[in-house]
Amino acid sequence: MKQGNGAPPDGTRFVTPESARLREAVTASLASLYDAWGYEPVEVPALERYDVTHPRAEQSFKLSDRDSGVLALRSDFTPALAQLVRAYHPAIADGERRALRYRYAGTVWHAIDPEFARTREFTQVGLELIGVSNARADAEVIHLARETVRAVGLVPRVELGNPGFVRALFDLAEVRTRDREALADAIDRKDRSDLRTLLAAAEVRGPAAEALLEATGLYGDAGVLREARRVAPWPETRAEIDRLEGVLDEFEDDSELLIDLGMARRLSYYTGVTFRAYTFDYGQPLLGGGRYDGALLPYAAGFSMGLERILGALPQVDTSTADTPQIDVSRADAPRADAPRAETRDGGTPDSGARAATGGLGARLLCSDDAVARRLREAGFRVLRATATDPSAVEDEAVAQDVGFVVHAGGLVDLASDGGGKRVASAPDHARVREALRAALEERA
Amino acid sequence: MRPAAEGPRLVLALPKGRVHQQALNALRQAGLRLEHTADDRAMRIDAGDAELIVMRNADVPTYVSLGVADAGVVGKDVILESGADLFEPVDLGFAACRLSLIRQRGARRKIERVASKYPRLSAEYLRRMGSAAEVVKLTGNVELACLSGLADAVVDVVQTGETLAVNDLVEVDVLLRSSARFVVNRAALKLKAGRLRPLIEALRDLSGA
Repeated sequence: MKQGNGAPPDGTRFVTPESARLREAVTASLASLYDAWGYEPVEVPALERYDVTHPRAEQSFKLSDRDSGVLALRSDFTPALAQLVRAYHPAIADGERRALRYRYAGTVWHAIDPEFARTREFTQVGLELIGVSNARADAEVIHLARETVRAVGLVPRVELGNPGFVRALFDLAEVRTRDREALADAIDRKDRSDLRTLLAAAEVRGPAAEALLEATGLYGDAGVLREARRVAPWPETRAEIDRLEGVLDEFEDDSELLIDLGMARRLSYYTGVTFRAYTFDYGQPLLGGGRYDGALLPYAAGFSMGLERILGALPQVDTSTADTPQIDVSRADAPRADAPRAETRDGGTPDSGARAATGGLGARLLCSDDAVARRLREAGFRVLRATATDPSAVEDEAVAQDVGFVVHAGGLVDLASDGGGKRVASAPDHARVREALRAALEERA
Repeated sequence: MRPAAEGPRLVLALPKGRVHQQALNALRQAGLRLEHTADDRAMRIDAGDAELIVMRNADVPTYVSLGVADAGVVGKDVILESGADLFEPVDLGFAACRLSLIRQRGARRKIERVASKYPRLSAEYLRRMGSAAEVVKLTGNVELACLSGLADAVVDVVQTGETLAVNDLVEVDVLLRSSARFVVNRAALKLKAGRLRPLIEALRDLSGA
């Protein structure tokens, strides 16, 4: 249609210098945020073998290979990351419980009609926490989703859901498999009148059917959980509400977290807590993710964000008078106060001097205390959040993660010299890192 | 029982035409104070409890799904045709109609071409029926397509059936039944819950849903 006039294909676009700079700055600030939490960068091919079982197979651009095989352009990072894990960490792909933290940024292509401001080529930025499945791990991913929005200068509102709740109600109401998709869609649209018609047509009745109707109204603040327990008082649904509450409990201050128990998209893919992030005065979710144990890997949770989407949510900047992007990336360089369980809200700006003085060592360590971890990240260390809480288990985790140092609230454990027989690969600059760590801990104590 | 004024004011997308007045009535009965009349030609109205933006009905899903409007009123047929991703918490009940396959009385010819203002729903219907007929999109009076021979059948909205009878057209099949819905933007429902939740409750009470 637009051939020959220099316009790129529908749903794709050129990026001119001022926008490209902003994209670069945002991508770099997010990479640095995820890095500070111990997420390692990975890349996966943009060309994949076409696979009909791929979650986005219907939306993939297909190409023919020279040997008559069919290739697809990457349409999502998560399945490709799962393949990477199977190739390089087969034990984890088979169910070993060891945390892998990956981050990525790159282009994906969706063969869709470019409508409703959706493009066919866009950039996905995201992360995955693989090999762990507990409320602590969920909270880490959700916290980083919130920090992602904050890092670009927007005010985040993160909403949690648990598709297991609707699934449990379907089981209790003995809803037939073939009826579930249409019912889930009506619940997700909060369309109570459609839902009532569909339930009648599917001959679904009784208290669980009534609870499905009520699920269209189960959204709001944490008080929703109390309401959900009243509406759905059965052990199967209680377990799913407990699971969500367990994640909320990981946050010292959950007053800004929203709940929606009617989130019912991709019911068979997500197996645990799901979430979306919004910001004020922007009509679309900025990012989404959740736990999908067993879908592609035994234990995994993550989120991805459309870079163009989040840039679209930024207040318009007058680029005619500014030659550098007006975005405060310093916040992402030094993650702020409100890690789960460490919601201090002191509002102080971390001094970048400390980072400059001790940074550059790039040392990874494991920390079981969120307040201490925050200070160390500000000082330029890459700090993995311990997925265990018991001190001895945390030290085992440090060995498995191949980090030389553990920091508890009580102080520093140097596994190479006083780790009590626990061996780790010692970096050549081990002594320097130990001194820098001691200095940072003392200075900040 | 006015919804408690909590948080920023709502922006509501309303369709032009007949539904406009019915939508205003419903919103007022639900407790919104709206100083505005349907015959006002303004497109953007500061109407007290809400800012109203008035447009063709087919554009309402776009304005709401992209969040330019927080919520709006539009027919289920239009929502389905748009494919927009919206919350649809209330069936308002009015503007009830059928979306039907319509032919000239006595037409027997195999259907090769269907004209419609609803190309997406028409194509979906034809696929479901195993028909390979092509769909042409029209924007004006689609019944004319049947009468003039442009198409073998049309897919269009039927309210009373009077227009059909006058033109010797008959409904051959019903694709779906529609009525006006109160639709809400996916982010606004959560971030402006203080204003939207009471409004939704009040509208549900009114429509008996």
